[in-house]
Amino acid sequence: MNPKLFLKFVSVSFQKQVTYRFDCFVGIVNGFLYVFIFTSLWKALYSQFDTTMHNGYTLTAIVTYAVLVMAVRISFTMDDSIIYRKVMDGSIAMELIRPTSFFFMNLAENVGHSLFHMMARTVPIVMISVFLFDIYIPFEVQRLLIFIVSCIAGYILVSMMNFIAGLLAFWFIEIFPFLLFKYAFYTFFSGGIVPIDFFPEFLKPLVNLLPFQYMLYYPTTILIGRASLVEAQSIIMAQLIWIVIMGAICCLMWGAGKKKLIIQGG
Amino acid sequence: MQQGNIAIEVKGLSKDFDVSESGKGFSGKLKALFHRRRKIITAVDAIDFEINRGEFVGYVGENGAGKSTTIKMLTGILVPTSGSAEVNGIIPFKERKKNAAKIGVVFGQRTQLWWDLPVRESFDLLRVIFRVSQPDFNSQIKKLDKALGLDPLMNMPVRKLSLGQRMRCDIAASLIHNPPVLFLDEPTIGLDVLAKESIRNFLTEINRDEGTTIILTTHDMNDIEQLCKRLIILEEGKIMYDGETELLKQKFIHEKVIEVEFHDDGNVIQGIPGVTVVREQGCKTWLTFDNDNYGIGDVIGTIASRYEIKDISVNEPSVESIIRNIYNTRVTRATPSEESRNK
Ligand SMILES: Nc1ncnc2c1ncn2[C@@H]1O[C@H](COP(=O)(O)OP(=O)(O)OP(=O)(O)O)[C@@H](O)[C@H]1O
Ligand SMILES: [Mg+2]
Repeated sequence: MNPKLFLKFVSVSFQKQVTYRFDCFVGIVNGFLYVFIFTSLWKALYSQFDTTMHNGYTLTAIVTYAVLVMAVRISFTMDDSIIYRKVMDGSIAMELIRPTSFFFMNLAENVGHSLFHMMARTVPIVMISVFLFDIYIPFEVQRLLIFIVSCIAGYILVSMMNFIAGLLAFWFIEIFPFLLFKYAFYTFFSGGIVPIDFFPEFLKPLVNLLPFQYMLYYPTTILIGRASLVEAQSIIMAQLIWIVIMGAICCLMWGAGKKKLIIQGG
Repeated sequence: MQQGNIAIEVKGLSKDFDVSESGKGFSGKLKALFHRRRKIITAVDAIDFEINRGEFVGYVGENGAGKSTTIKMLTGILVPTSGSAEVNGIIPFKERKKNAAKIGVVFGQRTQLWWDLPVRESFDLLRVIFRVSQPDFNSQIKKLDKALGLDPLMNMPVRKLSLGQRMRCDIAASLIHNPPVLFLDEPTIGLDVLAKESIRNFLTEINRDEGTTIILTTHDMNDIEQLCKRLIILEEGKIMYDGETELLKQKFIHEKVIEVEFHDDGNVIQGIPGVTVVREQGCKTWLTFDNDNYGIGDVIGTIASRYEIKDISVNEPSVESIIRNIYNTRVTRATPSEESRNK
């Protein structure tokens, strides 16, 4: 796919977000509220015990995690019902008559969406949080760079997950309830609410079989310094392997799905 | 072109739709996996045709005949249930993107423009998508503007355009890369007389000057009569006529209408073989005659010799009336069609 075209579509999608400024304000409040609730919960929980360390997290570490995982999660905001809506109203037809890859156009649309949320929501939320909460981030240039790479990999995984979920509309058309379920599943199993370290033992084998932890949890642990730089490299390797696996699933599903696709409404 | 003179080749092309009642929604589909009581509609039923480069073909049929479904298969949106198709030597559903680069498509009831963007920006995106060079783009836009009057619309967001304005922009959008083959699915719905006229002129022009192959689906038989030398009529997914538009008249018109005007009223025409009076009003009488067995010359000669007539004319039926006739006879001929289509 032509990079120039990709960037053009990122900017179209970004501009579209700009038109919903009110949504954005609501989004900041909403995001900050989450941060506030989670950090308050952790503080309350930690104050119940004498030990200062739980599952390897001090209170500062867990608050930092809560703020940053939220920052990453908000930056990864994308509209997971895009494909579903295009199938529902049949407008997907108008995209398929163009000599462009459906996957990459979808990715570009997501990136534009996410960039907007990153600038309009993540940045203010992180700035407020840094003042309000006790946060510690080890500043190392190398760590920061690896974190960014890991975030990009995590982002691609989230986008692929949404692509796969959206493609189910080719078979089932009405998948909205499923998307809600997927969202809840993703938020939890990616470590978006509680770090994976706090998961009960019986869930861990399942978590390790799934790609979700590589979407939010691992990138965040790199930034907050829980993963050493050596560990960070193997995290990125694992992310790349998952990108290959999920990419293959995307391809297979697309190949099978286009045979199933029907266009609603004439 | 490796395919020489053939622009589109279709062989045994079929598309089935699963319209099972139980097949709706997530749980319905899951249920349908277990007990397979299915209701299938064959929207396009083993059709064959070949279209040469530079042809202007009308693709008509009643609502639900399968026209749009055919076009969706030829544009690579839908994968056929069976059969094969090639457009510009490319199999659309195997190489959708490659095919898309060489065709233009307009679906009248949808837009391929970006709803929130000004028309100009939509065109510019299409320029990048179709990899059209800036000079080629500029000259093409100039040409399209001249034919379709785009200039006043260029800075308007698409959502603010009227239906006819949007349609003009959509037609222009489909031609930005100057494709050799153009698919138009009802491009004239909702257009006023003048807009229709300008679009028709424009289509005639690109077909003649650029040699663009055009497949046009429409319910406006004037479009067909004015534009399409060749006509394909689809009926319940099957081709029931494929040939010159002119020849349609010979094939389906077994009666012609003669209008006779006398100097005064009270004249009664009778006893001429093959002729039936359909209506009398004042000095005028309308007759039909059996076109297959009697010559028009003989009939007019006989009438003229027996009666004092002021004027006589033979009305050529319009394509519209012929097609209306074809549709009508189908309705009276067979009604259990739904059943026969549910395999
Ligand atoms: N998405 C779909 N799901 C189920 N059936 C469909 C679908 N799309 C089309 N059909 C069926 O296929 C048949 C052909 O539809 P198609 O849209 O090709 O008709 P058409 O000739 O374009 O009609 P019109 O003149 O109304 O546009 C119809 O019976 C229609 O009900
Ligand atoms: Mg149609």
